[in-house]
Amino acid sequence: MGLITREKETAPCMVEVSHKFESLHAHVKFLNGAVVNPGDEVLVHGAPVMAPYGEVVIEERTATITRASTVERLWTKLTGDFEVMELCEFSFSEEVTL
Amino acid sequence: MNAHTETRHGAAVNETTQKASETTLLDPRFYTTDFDELDRIDVTPIREEWDKLIAELRSDPNKTHFKKTADWDPVDWEGMEPELKKELVDFLVSSLTAEFSGCVLYKEMKRRGNNPDICELFNYMARDEARHAGFINDALREADIGVNLGFLTKAKKYTYFRPKFIYYATYLSEKIGYARYITIYRHLEKHPEHRIHPIFKWFEQWCNDEFRHGEAFALLMKTDPKLTESPINKLWIRFFLVAVFSVMHVRDHARPAFHNALGINVDEYDQEVFRKTSEIARQVFPIEIDIDNPRWQRGLDRLRVAMGDMDRAKRQGGIGGAVARFTAGARSGLAFLSLYTIPVKKNVVPANPRLEPAY
Repeated sequence: MGLITREKETAPCMVEVSHKFESLHAHVKFLNGAVVNPGDEVLVHGAPVMAPYGEVVIEERTATITRASTVERLWTKLTGDFEVMELCEFSFSEEVTL
Repeated sequence: MNAHTETRHGAAVNETTQKASETTLLDPRFYTTDFDELDRIDVTPIREEWDKLIAELRSDPNKTHFKKTADWDPVDWEGMEPELKKELVDFLVSSLTAEFSGCVLYKEMKRRGNNPDICELFNYMARDEARHAGFINDALREADIGVNLGFLTKAKKYTYFRPKFIYYATYLSEKIGYARYITIYRHLEKHPEHRIHPIFKWFEQWCNDEFRHGEAFALLMKTDPKLTESPINKLWIRFFLVAVFSVMHVRDHARPAFHNALGINVDEYDQEVFRKTSEIARQVFPIEIDIDNPRWQRGLDRLRVAMGDMDRAKRQGGIGGAVARFTAGARSGLAFLSLYTIPVKKNVVPANPRLEPAY
């Protein structure tokens, strides 16, 4: 990990998107044990994974993990907390007026 | 997490009717935290209460609740007044986004953790959130609004939260969610003529999931007394209380037509929700906000007006907009500071935090 340089790596991953009445969720799991750290960026390759209503789509894909530089990682650790309010239901729309 | 709504005209959806259909692109953020710290959590001091709560979650009391029954009255989306429709949709989308985002966060904590107690808890909570999201999604589909889950193939940066910030924010978010839902439910019980959508009939049992999740975070905070008792953390708790309450106030005021149709006065409703949340939070927080202090309502009003000005300045753009944004931003900051410095009330926190939903 460079101080200001970013490194890229690819990892196989399993993408699961459920668009069902019983469960609406979407997850990415890395199959090689890769671990994502603060500030890292993940891009799943290929066309958007679109699950039609009522279906669950599970696909193996490749993802590029762009590792944050040391400086970025520190910055993300220092500033991430400021965004914690987005975990609250009523704070999602950013506009005060609709 | 943000939800972007884009309108896509119906050619792709339905060529014959040319009906306009909207797609909401869910754009959740991905989070990481200190997973080693989570792994080190030891629930031994609260083992008895912990096991009871996990058993309750395992038994899945709401397993059959989220089914559309005959109680689900048809909604006249077409005939709905446009302003109300816009705000009702916004309410549903932001609720769905919250559930979905909770699911992403909890699932990540489950997957990255190695502590079996913690993993089991987060697994059940992710299950509940995904179920809620599915139910709201169905309600949105009736309004001809689909969600686009294609966000996974866009570059995603991972944001970092310290575990304790996740506890404070999600504990409050779950408990305030419970208080919001039950307050609306009880109000509509008395005034069924204001029930503008059948989803509100599901809130009574639904919010027990939120309540239980909040209980779990209360127990987690009990595993380490420093989390709620150290002077610094008390300041953080105070910050989260003020922030969560004031953001809710600003956001609720952004939906006047929605609250009007429900027959709800936003200020009264918000005070009631703050009251319930404060009472519940005595289970674990040693301080509470004095919401009856005259400075409270005054500060909230000032904050809302300043944030409204900031929003308008942002839309205005240019140098004038930048200046207006700066001054409105400064006024928001001062209003928040004035809310934060209202003397807090102190609580004696019970040894056993567990509560049952009672409102």
